[in-house]
Amino acid sequence: MISQDIVFSWLPVLAVIVPLVGTLVIYMVEYRSWRLRNALSVVTAAITLIVVLDMYPAIRAGKIIEANFPRIIPPLGMSFRVDPLGFLLAVTTAFIWLMVTLYSLEYMSHEHHKNRYYPFLILTLSGCLGVVLTGDLFSLFVFFELMSLTAFVLVIHEETPEAMRAGFKYLVMTIVGSLALFFAIVVTYELAGTLKFSPNGFFFDTSLLSFLGFLGYIVGFGVKAGMVPLHVWLPDAHPVAPSPASALLSGLMIKTGAYGLLRVIYNVYGADLIQAMGWYNILIWAAAITIFLGSAVAIVQDDIKRRLAYSSIGQMGYILLGMGLFTQSALVGDIFHIFSHAFMKSTLFLCAGAIIYKTGLRKIKDLAGIGKKMPITMGAFTTAAMAMIGIPPLNGFISKWNLSLGALQAGKPFFVFLLLVSSLMNMIYYAPIIITAFMSGDHINDDHAEHETDKKRRLFGEVPPAMLIPMVILALGCLVFDLFPENLPLYLATLSARLLFR
Amino acid sequence: MLHLPVLAVVISLLGAYLIPLIYHFRRNLASVVAVGISGLALCFSAATAVYVSRYGAFSYLLGMWSIPWGIEVYVDRMSAFMMLVISSITFLVMLYAMEDVRHELTEAPRKWYWTLNLLLLASMMGVVMAGDLFNLFVFVEISSIAACGTISVKGDRRAVEATFRYLVLSTLGSGALLLSIALLYMVTGNLNMTYISGEIQKAAFLYPKNLYAALTFMVVGFGVKSALFPLHSWLPDAHSAAPAPSSAVLSGLVVKIYIFALFQVLSRVFGPVIAGIPVETVVLLMATMAVVLGSVLAMGQKELKRMLAYSTVAQVGYVFMGLALGADRAVAGGMMHILTHALMKSSLFLAAGSVLYKTGKKNITDLAGLGPRMPVTMGVFSLAAASMIGVPLLGGFVSKWYLALGATDAGKSFYALIIIVSSFLTALYFLPPVISAFFGKQPDDSVGKGIDEAPAVMLVPMVILSIALLGVGLFPSLVLGLLGYRG
Repeated sequence: MISQDIVFSWLPVLAVIVPLVGTLVIYMVEYRSWRLRNALSVVTAAITLIVVLDMYPAIRAGKIIEANFPRIIPPLGMSFRVDPLGFLLAVTTAFIWLMVTLYSLEYMSHEHHKNRYYPFLILTLSGCLGVVLTGDLFSLFVFFELMSLTAFVLVIHEETPEAMRAGFKYLVMTIVGSLALFFAIVVTYELAGTLKFSPNGFFFDTSLLSFLGFLGYIVGFGVKAGMVPLHVWLPDAHPVAPSPASALLSGLMIKTGAYGLLRVIYNVYGADLIQAMGWYNILIWAAAITIFLGSAVAIVQDDIKRRLAYSSIGQMGYILLGMGLFTQSALVGDIFHIFSHAFMKSTLFLCAGAIIYKTGLRKIKDLAGIGKKMPITMGAFTTAAMAMIGIPPLNGFISKWNLSLGALQAGKPFFVFLLLVSSLMNMIYYAPIIITAFMSGDHINDDHAEHETDKKRRLFGEVPPAMLIPMVILALGCLVFDLFPENLPLYLATLSARLLFR
Repeated sequence: MLHLPVLAVVISLLGAYLIPLIYHFRRNLASVVAVGISGLALCFSAATAVYVSRYGAFSYLLGMWSIPWGIEVYVDRMSAFMMLVISSITFLVMLYAMEDVRHELTEAPRKWYWTLNLLLLASMMGVVMAGDLFNLFVFVEISSIAACGTISVKGDRRAVEATFRYLVLSTLGSGALLLSIALLYMVTGNLNMTYISGEIQKAAFLYPKNLYAALTFMVVGFGVKSALFPLHSWLPDAHSAAPAPSSAVLSGLVVKIYIFALFQVLSRVFGPVIAGIPVETVVLLMATMAVVLGSVLAMGQKELKRMLAYSTVAQVGYVFMGLALGADRAVAGGMMHILTHALMKSSLFLAAGSVLYKTGKKNITDLAGLGPRMPVTMGVFSLAAASMIGVPLLGGFVSKWYLALGATDAGKSFYALIIIVSSFLTALYFLPPVISAFFGKQPDDSVGKGIDEAPAVMLVPMVILSIALLGVGLFPSLVLGLLGYRG
């Protein structure tokens, strides 16, 4: 039994408020000086990261941080509660956000509407952190909505008809999800009279209404998590956003759906109820389909960002699967995969962004020989892609190992098989990119002497260091968090798995 | 005994008759006086609300005549709440109208506009505090006529046609009401609500058919006036043809006064006998249709104000639903929605009005690209639209929250699902204008040139409405406390 001392701290509140205030300040200064705007964006993200890291001593000491504000929106109240799971995700979020903000400075320098991009980038950080730091369903819902609605502005940044269509689809699906959540939360409140997360869940009700509520959660969070068949918005919305925003959408925001489901299963309904009633079957079969379809469809995608987006769907399937297996190691793998996929996918999207920044090319077949011209970018890409496939010295391996172990312990060897097949498919769609990039020569197309694409290929070259550094740091993260003996994320994942499921 | 609620009605009535006189001598003063009077009415209502929440409900006898002969005014928490909503929204809208009518109305009818507005204010407050059916009927009639006046004052063909339609249907409603009241008088021999309710059990035993008829006429009469779904056909024309401030008051307040009156009568008059009669089932059925079909119809509209008007048809259904479900939290939700919808819909209509004021355009597609040019107006519009959809931290979320909880309390979770479905439909028709305002472009670049923000007199009321919407969303306990609901 792990001790669960509860301490009060303003830090989680601060972590949410700093980006909110930062947004306001950025909004006020941005029309005067773009340098100040860029600097402030980075500083806000950095301060947020520091605030989040400040919670570490308490978490390390096995404490749980709480801050309750029952007077706001009574009778529900706002509340914050940080346990190892929330902390792990908050740190991941704040860190990757900082990296992406740094990357944005250069990437966005030639884009339009920068004065809209930065405030919304930071505002979304507030929502995203709020989701993982809150202590009850209602507060989570509020921040979930804030994040989803502000992310819309990032999705449609380009304002092309294509982006607007994707954005509308995103918004409609978001609202479907949030209404389903609304219904589920109403049902929970009705049946339990409270919404505060508690270990092992806080109510036991096996009625039809309770089941409908659970379905509401699956739909509500499933939309965000890209669960098939609610994923329809994802392959459109993630690729059309500017690459740094895609990295955040695919790397972090998509995870809030999985995080919400984790909370619902283990801290709202409780693992016992879900297991006893067999409701987890919905989740794991949806996850199985998600894994299979996501990976399969990724293979046939020609656009690099679309391929990455479908890959995200497949990877989210792992995470959804892990939480429905109800074994210790599956949960460890699950939580660790939330963390590691965030690193892998944001690296991949940033690399894709670097290619687009330099050349404007998005078709995979046009990327022949790019590895020789942009070795660092493609090196980072390769590292993350290998991690994605699950090759040992990279972090994706740990999560897949634990997930497979968990599936075996749960007596469901079929899912191990599914994980293997999916890894194979990951290989099938990532390897060609790497092979074309490094192996194939940079021969000019024979049929058309001076093809448009060839002109663009002449532009190949390494991107500026301001973009390279964040990419490389994130790619190294994929390596470090497997190799180092002191693996903090894994420790936190194990700790949270123990807290969630005993 | 507190004179204030009655005084609020009396000064508004007096003001209504004084305005043309003032206008005759000092044109510019008329609107200021009218706004001042509505501000005074707001102060009186606020004082009444404080009094009622401290000392509880009270009844007031006009001129100290005892009940069967005199006029009784009855103010409880609910009616004090309604008075506050009515007077505050009217005050803000009239402030907005000071500038807007200069643009939207011609010279001649302008002086009547303030009179009509004050009459409407007085009659609405009269309806919510009436203690007997006769006065209720009188005030309902005044408000119907004044409401028609505020539409036809615009003077164009469309407004006059819409008014005529409204007038005809509204008169049918009044006829039904009058019949109902006559039937009740026939079987109980009284018009005072408390007295009827004392007699009604006996009457139900002796003359059940008369009572059923009275009940039916009552529901139909108020149903027509409050545009309950199949009886709503007058509303979209009337509310979209009216000048913007009138639309705001009509959609935001007037229809809900009748809902409130209906449920007051149902509980205070028919209270002892209602249990055996399936009124609620019928009303719930109609409300469900309103909530779903109103939104569906709103989706098909091209004109912004017509879309908003159809949305009112749907939102009225929420209020009916909440009050008809009967569970504590559902009633709290319904009452809350009277306030939040008043805030949302009046901000939306006022925003639509200031777009009309600046551009002269009234179609939804004309909003494209207006966001950066009129940031405050479109910001208010977007906030209200988000609240309509039910985004948390805004007022609309709170009322939907209580409505949905109340539906499950009453054991009818089906209605919670209906609310969800309708919110989704609401999103479908409110999102495109908001998106196109901020991220869209005018097909012809020259169209938007030179358009800037509306004048401050119009902006301030809209911004106050938005702040109130946010305030209600963040601190709903203030409102719920006024309604006497805790939990």
